[in-house]
Order: sequence, then structure tokens, then C-alpha cells
Amino acid sequence: MSNPSTAEKAISYIFLILVGVLLASPFLYMISIALASDATTIKLAFTFVPREFEWSNFYTIFTNNNLGTYLENSVMITMFTIIGSVLSASVVSYGFARIQAKGSRFLFIVLLSTMMIPGEVTMVPQFIIFRHLDWINTFYPLIVPSFFAGAFNVFLIRQFVMSIPRSLDEAAMIDGMGHPGIYWKIIMPLTYPILAAIAIFSFSWNWGNFMGPLIYINDPEKMPLALGVQLLTTVSGGQLPPWNLVMIASLFLTIPMVLVYLLGQRYVYEANISGGSSGIK
Amino acid sequence: MKQKDGKWFYIFISPWLIGFVGLTLGPILFSIYMSFTNWDLFQSPSFIGLDNYKTLLTDDPLFWKSVGNTFFYALISIPLGMAISLCIAYYLNKKIKGITFFRILFYLPSVVPVVASSLLFVHLLAPSKGLINKALALLGIQGPAWLLDPNWVKPALILMSLWGVGGGVVLLLAGMKGIPQELYEAAAIDGAQSTQSFFHITFPMLTPVIFFNLVTGIIGALQTFAQVFIVTSGGPDNASQMVVPYLFQNAFQFYKMGYASAIAWVLFIMIMVLTLLIFRSSALWVHYEEGKTNE
Repeated sequence: MSNPSTAEKAISYIFLILVGVLLASPFLYMISIALASDATTIKLAFTFVPREFEWSNFYTIFTNNNLGTYLENSVMITMFTIIGSVLSASVVSYGFARIQAKGSRFLFIVLLSTMMIPGEVTMVPQFIIFRHLDWINTFYPLIVPSFFAGAFNVFLIRQFVMSIPRSLDEAAMIDGMGHPGIYWKIIMPLTYPILAAIAIFSFSWNWGNFMGPLIYINDPEKMPLALGVQLLTTVSGGQLPPWNLVMIASLFLTIPMVLVYLLGQRYVYEANISGGSSGIK
Repeated sequence: MKQKDGKWFYIFISPWLIGFVGLTLGPILFSIYMSFTNWDLFQSPSFIGLDNYKTLLTDDPLFWKSVGNTFFYALISIPLGMAISLCIAYYLNKKIKGITFFRILFYLPSVVPVVASSLLFVHLLAPSKGLINKALALLGIQGPAWLLDPNWVKPALILMSLWGVGGGVVLLLAGMKGIPQELYEAAAIDGAQSTQSFFHITFPMLTPVIFFNLVTGIIGALQTFAQVFIVTSGGPDNASQMVVPYLFQNAFQFYKMGYASAIAWVLFIMIMVLTLLIFRSSALWVHYEEGKTNE
């Protein structure tokens, strides 16, 4: 776009600042509530600009509530799901991109069509299967499925692998390398950018995932933060939830997402371009 | 040329294949069977044929209400969100100082986990003490009781969804950057105003991205769950009950596994039909550059 005129610039700034204030204010309100004293919380007299700076809330939530445990659980679950989804999708996409076999086209179409099935269809039977395996109240139902290659991830990596010249594989093959070697030494290292994007997607999906833990975890000691923070709000006996602590927990839920986005936006951006907008043509 | 090597192919894709059989195909077949049964998890399932579907479609007003609410939510939040994100993307595409800051700021709300934003919006939407009504009061407007008012609870959820428009904006922005500059220059020489070039160049060139946002937006909206579960529990008076929370309730609170499976299949059909309709309609309005092929 050509350089905008002064009037255009002014209009743009007014618009951007106005919308920016609207979009940023919920964040500030979250921080303000997180810093409110118990007295303010009981009266629900929160203000936009922090009235108090009750830093001890941060101490309270770690000592009186399970925040440390929730965080630990979230980290464990997220770490293993990232490993699982990246590794499995990477291996599988090599198979679909580089090896020809009877039924490979058909299976790829099957894989693509599974993307259209909403998770709700398999949710109830999966619950019954995992219950049968005695996996309720464990991390297994949340972690194990990620080791079976998500269709969307396979599709993204495969698109990427297709753009790598085949002459690389052929040269390696002449040198006597087999598929495992070609995959591990040549193709996989070249797909790091897209694997990073998938790690970020997997992180953001699992870190904030609410429904999965809600279905499978009942024991507060095993809950990830997304479920634990909601548990904080369910108080019995007509009492008000400790909203200041709830907002601190919400901040802990939010900040890692923001950091991962800021550090990894380049990868997400590239994956969006290749897999999102143009990939559907 | 691809190497022909059946054994290796199946070894490489085995993680997916095992998962597909065990976690997708198996559960799908199981779910179909369950939808024809009456099953509370504790006694053995009894086969009741199409009864679940019959009840669901003809004798369950709450299901229809949740379908209606879900569609209301989708039909308003998606077009509104797209119009706003198009507008935002237009301004974020300007070459002005500090634009990177605004791009980051506008995107951030969309990375906030829905649990956190839901808990936050409980306060933002509070009747008299909430930030939104306080801001409206400054303008002399008496805000509604949002989450407590059956007429305003759905608009409240829609408002909440608009906070996260930044996700779609990123794709639109990327699309805008991909539009060849010559098109604008040629249009300017022909005397086109900036609004004209927006509607004749920018918008048509963005239709593939808008199409993508539309499809993913509809699929996402029809699957709305955590917001409803956390913010409203479907209330007041079921005015914000939606399909997936209703499914969840039937499965994991009432243990009606068969009935819940039937709901899941009806949901699947709704998503399928809508997606197909949009794909069909795309020939009419989605503009693809000629000669550009994928792969």
C-alpha cells in the first residue's frame, strides 16, 4: 500500500487506539481483580484501575489453594501431548508424502475425511473405552490420544514435505539409506519450522483444554489449571468465590499462552499461510 | 517418483492407523450402535431402535431450544465477527508507525484460554458493577443485566466471542499482504477511490480467506461449550443452552449415553450439511486466482 496521507494516518490511529483500548481493557480488569483485597472481593467492588495492590494474593493462592499442583499437572500433560503430537504426526506424514504403497491414496483420503468428524461424536465412546481401561482420574486419556497423529497435523507436515525436492531422498537411497534413515536424517530435520508450529498449536490446545479434563478428572490433585481454576469458583454454602484468586489463576493460565505466541508467532504465521488460507484451495 | 515399499508405508503410518481404528473408527461404530440403545452405563444397554432420534426430534423442546440458541449464536457472531475483523485488518494493513504493536495487541485476546476469558467476562458483564455496564453508564446508557436476562444472555456470549476476533484478523492480514500492488496502482490510475478499490480488489481477493474463516467459524460456533458451561450453565431459563453443553449434560450428568450419542450424530449431520452448503456456494462468491494451483 502506498504511503498514507496525514488525514488517513489520523483516522487510522484514532480507530486503532479506540479498538485497542476496548480489546486491552479486559486484560487490565483481570489484573485489577487479581490484585483486589478480600474485602473488595466480598463486596464485588472491583474497579478498572487497581484500587489495591494486594500482592499477598499470589502467596495465598500457592499456599491455601492447589495452584502449584494444577500448574504442575498442566505442564506434565502439555509436555507429553506436545511430544506425542509432533512425533507421531511427523512419522506418519513421511509415510504419506514419500512412500507409495497399495491403498496409500485411499488411506490419505480417509485421514482427511476424519477432520470433518466433530470430536463430540467420538467423545462418549472414548469415555467408555477409557473407563473400561480404568483410566479415569489419570492423565492417560488426555495424553495417549495425542500419540496417534492428528489428521490436521499430518496434513500440514505432508504439505511441507511435498515441497522438499525428492532428489534428496533419491541420492540417499543410492547411498544405501533406507526409509528410517531418510526420514530421520534428511526429511525430519528439514521440517523443524512446521514441527515448531505444530508444537505451538498442540500447546495452546492442551494448555487451555477444558472439556477433556472435565470429563476424565475428578480428583483435584490431578486437575490441570484450566479445570482447577473453574473448581475455585464452585464454592458451597452461599459463599462468594475468591474472585481475586480466581483471576490470579486465570493470569497463570493466560500468560504462558501469550509468551508462547510472542516467541513462536513466526512459525504459527508460516503454518497459517501454508496450511490455512492457501491449503484449502 | 515415490518409492514403492508397502511394508515401510504401513510401518510409518501405523501410529495414525492404530489411532484411527481404535479412537475414531471403533468409537464411531460404537457410537452409532449406542445411539440405538438406552444405556445408563451401569446396566447393560437395551436396543430401542430409532427411539432416541424420535424423542430428540419430536419430543424434546429443550433440544430444539439449544439448537435454536446455537444457530442464533452462530448466525450473529460469525458475520459480525467477520465484518469487524475485516475492518480491523484493513487498518492494521496501513504503513504507519507502531503498527506492529497494534497487531500484537489485537491478536492477544484470541490466545487467552476460553476458561480464563469466560471467568473474566462473568465480571465484565455483571449487571451494575461490571465494567461493560459501567462504561455504558458513562455514555448515559443503562446496560441490561446481560447474563441474568434471557433476552440479553446470547448477545452477551456474542460480545464475548468478539473479543477474540484477532485470530481471524491474522489470516485476513496475511491475505491482504498477498494482493499484488499493481492491482491498486492500476485502479488508482483509472481513478478509483480507496473505497472502490477495497470493494473491487481487496474484498474479492480476500474471499478465499473469508471462506476459510467462515467454515472454521461455523464449525467452532456449533461446538460452543466451555463459555456456556462456565458463564451461564445454559441459563437463565435455558436461554443460552446450546447443543454441545446439552450433549455433555445428557452423557456425563444424566448418564444417558445412548441419547447423548444420538445428539452427537444430529450435531454431526448439522455441521456436515452446513459445511457442504458453504462449499457448494463458494463457487458463486469465492474468487481464486487463475492458474494458481496447490501442490
